[in-house]
Amino acid sequence: MDSSTSVALEPVLSFLAFSLSKLESGFYRIPGSAVVARYVKSSHQNDPGRTILELILVIFAIRTLLQSRTRTDRSGKHFIKFSEKEIDELVDEWVPEPLAQPLSEWEQRDLSSVPVISGPNGPKPKLLATGKIVTNLASFNFAGLAGNEKVKERALETLQKYGLGSCGPPGFYGTIDVHLDLEREIAGFLGTEASILYSQGFSTISSVIPAFCKRGDIIVADRSVNFAIQKGILISRSTVRWFDHNDLKSLEDTLVSVEKERKKRKGPLTRRFIITEGIFERDGEMVDLPKLVELKLKYKYRLILDESISFGTMGRTGRGLTELYNVSAPEIDMLVGSVANGLCSAGGFCAGSSIVVDHQQRINGTSFVFSASMPALLATSGSEAITFLRNNPSVLLNLQDNIRAIRAVLEKTEGITLLGHRASPIIHFCLRTQQQSLAVTQPTYDYEAEERILQDIVDDSIANGVLLTRAKHLRGQEMVESRPTIRIAATAALSRKEVEKAAGVVKASVTRILSKRR
Amino acid sequence: MPYPIKLNLPSPSLYIFEEKKLLSKSPSMPMAASYLPAVQQTNVRGRSRDNSSIPSTPALSLSPSITASYEDNALSEDDENNCLVYPITPPTSEQIFTTVHTEFGHCTNEVYRCVSKHDYTKPFEEQTMEEPPYYIVFATHISLFILHLLGHMRDFFGKRFAKSYFAHLVPQNGYAPLNTNFDSFFTRRLRGRMTDCLCQPVTGVPGRTIVILDRHSIDNNYTQTYTGGKTRALNISSYNYLGFSQGGGCCSDAVKESIRRYGVSNCGTRLEGGSSELHVSAEALVARFVGTEDALISSMGFATNSTFIPALVGKGSLIISDELNHASIRIGARQSGAYIRIFKHNDMSSLESLLREVISQGQPKTHRAWKKVLVIVEGLYSMEGTVLNLPKIVELKQIYKFHLYIDEAHSIGALGPRGRGVTDYFNIPPSSIDVLMGTFTKSFGAAGGYIAGPKSLIDCLRLRGHSCPYAEAIAPPVLVQIVASMASIMGVVSAPRPTNSTFSLSPVGSIVTPRDKTKELLGMVPASSLPTWMNLPPALADGSEARARIRRLAFNSRYLHAGLKKLGFIIYGHSFSPIVPLLIFNPGKLPTFVRMMRSYSPPIVVVVVAYPATPFETARARFCPSASHTKEDIDIVLRACDEVGEILDLKHGSGERWESTRSASVPWSLCTL
Repeated sequence: MDSSTSVALEPVLSFLAFSLSKLESGFYRIPGSAVVARYVKSSHQNDPGRTILELILVIFAIRTLLQSRTRTDRSGKHFIKFSEKEIDELVDEWVPEPLAQPLSEWEQRDLSSVPVISGPNGPKPKLLATGKIVTNLASFNFAGLAGNEKVKERALETLQKYGLGSCGPPGFYGTIDVHLDLEREIAGFLGTEASILYSQGFSTISSVIPAFCKRGDIIVADRSVNFAIQKGILISRSTVRWFDHNDLKSLEDTLVSVEKERKKRKGPLTRRFIITEGIFERDGEMVDLPKLVELKLKYKYRLILDESISFGTMGRTGRGLTELYNVSAPEIDMLVGSVANGLCSAGGFCAGSSIVVDHQQRINGTSFVFSASMPALLATSGSEAITFLRNNPSVLLNLQDNIRAIRAVLEKTEGITLLGHRASPIIHFCLRTQQQSLAVTQPTYDYEAEERILQDIVDDSIANGVLLTRAKHLRGQEMVESRPTIRIAATAALSRKEVEKAAGVVKASVTRILSKRR
Repeated sequence: MPYPIKLNLPSPSLYIFEEKKLLSKSPSMPMAASYLPAVQQTNVRGRSRDNSSIPSTPALSLSPSITASYEDNALSEDDENNCLVYPITPPTSEQIFTTVHTEFGHCTNEVYRCVSKHDYTKPFEEQTMEEPPYYIVFATHISLFILHLLGHMRDFFGKRFAKSYFAHLVPQNGYAPLNTNFDSFFTRRLRGRMTDCLCQPVTGVPGRTIVILDRHSIDNNYTQTYTGGKTRALNISSYNYLGFSQGGGCCSDAVKESIRRYGVSNCGTRLEGGSSELHVSAEALVARFVGTEDALISSMGFATNSTFIPALVGKGSLIISDELNHASIRIGARQSGAYIRIFKHNDMSSLESLLREVISQGQPKTHRAWKKVLVIVEGLYSMEGTVLNLPKIVELKQIYKFHLYIDEAHSIGALGPRGRGVTDYFNIPPSSIDVLMGTFTKSFGAAGGYIAGPKSLIDCLRLRGHSCPYAEAIAPPVLVQIVASMASIMGVVSAPRPTNSTFSLSPVGSIVTPRDKTKELLGMVPASSLPTWMNLPPALADGSEARARIRRLAFNSRYLHAGLKKLGFIIYGHSFSPIVPLLIFNPGKLPTFVRMMRSYSPPIVVVVVAYPATPFETARARFCPSASHTKEDIDIVLRACDEVGEILDLKHGSGERWESTRSASVPWSLCTL
C-alpha cells in the first residue's frame, strides 16, 4: 500500500524536482538574481522568524504603495457608520437651502436702477429707460476713444479678414498674429521686453498672481487692493502680510518685520512680492511709485503693480505711472494693465521681462491657457488706441483739465468729501461725517443708509441729465469693507464747459438730496 | 458668357482611398484645369462688388460660388493644396454658395447629414476608456523614465557648466528664482522640446482651413524664427463647431453694422454704466434659446465659471465635482470657500455612493447638514469627448435633492437635433436643471459665456457674481455675433412689432416681451426680440442654414469618430461628440504626429495634449470636426491618420476594423450604423 502510493507519486515528485531545478536555473539566469539569493540567505540565518518579519515588511510596503493617495473621509475618525436604511432616511430628511436667496427690497431697487444705454456708449449716450440724452460721468472713456472712427474702421477691416471669434485658447491655434502685434505694441509702448494679453481685464491679475506666487511664498499687499487682486492672492495660497492703505511707511515696517522673521527662522530664500495698485480702483489714491520702487529694490522684493486705471490715462501719452514719475518700466517686475479701461477695447495685459511673460505666464497663467483668446477685432482696436494715444498727447491734457474742473466744483459742495489723488481720472466722493478715513475696521456709519442716500443722488442727477454711478462692491465678500462712494469717471471727450456744467448738476443734486434729508 | 463647368451633381465618392489618386492628379485633369480660371474670374467679379449683395436668384446667376478667399488672406496657393481652396467637385450653376470654401466648405450632398439625438430604446452609450496593450503602457513609462533621467542629468550638468541657460532658475543677487527647476521640469523637458507643435500663431479666419505662420527653430526649439511664409492648412482643431467663424457674409454683416452703430466697447462694467440695450436683448435671447426663464452674459467664458460659482455656494456648502472638470470650474470652486469632493469621471454609481455618504455624514467634524450640495458636471468633456449621462443624473437629483450645475461650454449648439445642447440631445426639459452655463466661443464663433436659470437665481447672480460689478461688459460686436448666430439657429418669425415696447426692457424685467405660445413650441424667435436694424439673410432667418449646419456637424463628428475607430485607433468619447480624441500614449510620438500631419499634403493642423491637461500616460491628439468641413475633408483626415498612424504604430484599438485600409468599404454609410 505504502509502496504503491510512493510508486504512484514518483512521476509527480520527479516532475516537481525537475521543475524546481528548472525554476532555480531560470532564476539564476536573471541578471542580478545572485544578489537577491545571497540577501535572502544571509537574512534567513536559519531563523524563520527573521524571514517572516522581512515578508511582513515587504507586504506592508506593497500595501502602502497600492493604497490610494487621496484621503477618504470614510476612514476618518469622524466617520459614522450608518446602515443603508438609515442613509435612506437621512437623505429623505435632508432639505437643502434654495440655491439663490431672494433679493431684498433694497437689492431689487439697486438692480433696477442700473442704467441701460440705448445705442452707442460715449460722452453723451441715450438712456433706454427715459430716452433722454445724458452727459456721461460714469463709463470708462478716459481718453475719449469710445466711438472713435479710426478704431471702428480698423475693427471693420479686421472683421473682414479674421472673422469675429478666435475659436480656441492660445495654445490650440487661438494665437492670431494680431494678438502678437498688440503684445509687441504694448511692450514697445511701455518699454518692457515683452507682454502677454489676457481676454478679460478683471481676470488678468487674478491669474497673474497665482502664476508666480505659490505656497510658501511671501506676499506683502496693500490692505485696500481691488477685488481681483484679493482673489488672486486667495488662490495663490501664499503667506500674505498686509500694510496700511497707500502708506509706504507701513509697507517698510512690514518688509522689515518679514525680514526679521525670516532671519529668526533661518528659512530658505523664498519668492517675495509686493502687490499694490497704481491708482486704486476703490478710492482713486495714487501710489508714490519712485519710493515704492526704492523699497522694493532695497528689500529685494518683486513688484506686481496693477495699473488698470492708470494705464491709458496718466503720464504725457498714457503710459501710466511709469511715465508720470519717470520710472523705467522694467523696474516693475510685473506691470498689469487693462486694455478694456485705458484703451476702450477689451482684455488685459501683463508686461515684464521675457522670463516673466514667456516662461511663466504662457504656461502657468490659468486664465490665459484655459480660456479662448480675445476676438481679433478687439485686439486691433487696442492697437489702434495705442497709436491714437501716441499721436494725440493733448487728449490727456484735456483729461487733466476736466479732472481739475470737476474737482473744483465738487470741492465746494457741502456735505461730501472728495477722495483720492488730485490727478486721478476716477473721482470718488462719500458723505461727510466726523470719520474721514475710508477703510475703518469698525464702521461708524450706517452702510446701507449711506448707500440709499448716494443712490438718491445718482437718480436725481440722472433725472437732471448727468449719468453717475455708485462704486459697486460685493458687500460681505470684500476683505475690507470700504465706505459707499459715488464714482465719477472723467473723460477727455467732453469740453471743459460741458464738464463744469455736469459737475454743477451733480453738486445741485447733492445739495437737494442732502437738504431733503435734514 | 458660358463657363466650362461640369453640369452634373457631385456624386459622393464611395472609396475614400480612391480619392487620393484623384487629389494628387487634380491639377492636371482637364476638367479641374478649365475650372480654375473660371473660379478666378468669379472672384475678381465678386471682389469688385459689395460682398453682401450675393444674388438670390439662382437661375439667372452664372456665378457658381464664391470660392476663394479675400485678397488680404489669399496666399499664393501651390497646386497641391488646391483641394483646400477649391472644392474637389466643381459646383454646378444651380448651386449657390454664400460662403467662402476656405471658411465654410461647400457640401450639397444631403446624404452627409445626420441628427444627433439620444435613442431611448437603447441603453446609454457607455463611454469606456479603452486600455492600450501592455507593451504600449510599458513603452510609455520607459520613455517617461528616460525623459526624466536625461532631463535631470542635463539639469545637473547644465547648472554647473551652462549657467546662462539656468540663470532664471537659481537665486540671483538675493532674489529667489521665479520658478524652481523642479516645478518647471516638464515645461522645459517635455513641452520645451515640442514648442514648434504648440501655440502655433495663425492668421485669418479660423474656419474650415486656417493659415499658419511658418516658423522654424535653429536652437532645438529654444526660440522660434518666423520665416515670413504662410501655409494654409486644413483646420480640424478650432472650436468652430457650427462654422460661424466667417469673415464675410452670414453673421458678419450684422456684426459690421453693429460696429458702425455701437463702436467696439461698452466702456465699463455691467453695473456701472456699461450696460446697453444689446445686453438686455441678447440675454433674453439666450434664455429663450436655452429654454430657461432668464440668463446673464459675461465677457469671458473662463470667468463665467470662476466668478459665478462663488456667488452660488459658500461656506457650509458642498461642491461635488467631476474629476475631469475644466480648470475654470476648479478655480471657481476653490474661490467659493465651499467644501469640495470629487467623483469618478461620468460614473453615476460613484456619484451616488458619494452622495449617500456626504448627505448622511453632513459637514466634516460638526456633522451638521449641508446648506446646499451643488453637483458640477460638464455636458461634453473637452479632453475626452464624453457626453454626460444626463438621464441618470436627473434621476439622482430627484432622489438626493442636490442642485445641478451643467457646464455646456462644448455641448451648446453642438449637440441635440436643435443644437440646444445636452438637454436637447436627451430631450430633457432644461427647467429640470438648476444652472446651465455655456460659452459662445465654440459653437457661435464669438466670445464670452452665459449662465441661464430661473429668474430669481439670475437676478441674484447679477448683483452678487464677481464679474458684474468688477469686470468689463461684453463688447457690442461680440454680442451681435451671438445674437445673429443664435437667432439663425432658432429661426426668426416676423411677428408684428409691438408699437413702442420693443425695448422697454430693463435688466430686471428682461423677459417682458410677450411670448407667443405656438412659436414658442417651435423654438423660433420673434423678429421683435432682435435689434430693429438687424437684417439676416433669408437662409439664416428661416433657420434652414443653421439646421443644415447642425446636421452636418453631427455627420462629420460621427463619421470621423467611426472612421478612426474602424482604422484601428483608440478613440475616447461619445460617437456624436464633436471632440474626437485619438490616443497616442507615448509622449515622444506627440510632436512627431503633429509634424507629420502638418507636412501631409494637404497640411492638417492638429492639437495634441499631454500632461498636465491629461494624465501622464494618456497623451492624445484631439480633433474637432466642424459643420464647415465637407465629407471630403474628413476623408483627408482619415487618410492622413491612417498613414501616420501606421508609421507611428498607433493602431491598438480592439473591435471591428477595416481589414486592409485600401479595401473598398462604404464609409459614408457608417453614420447609419
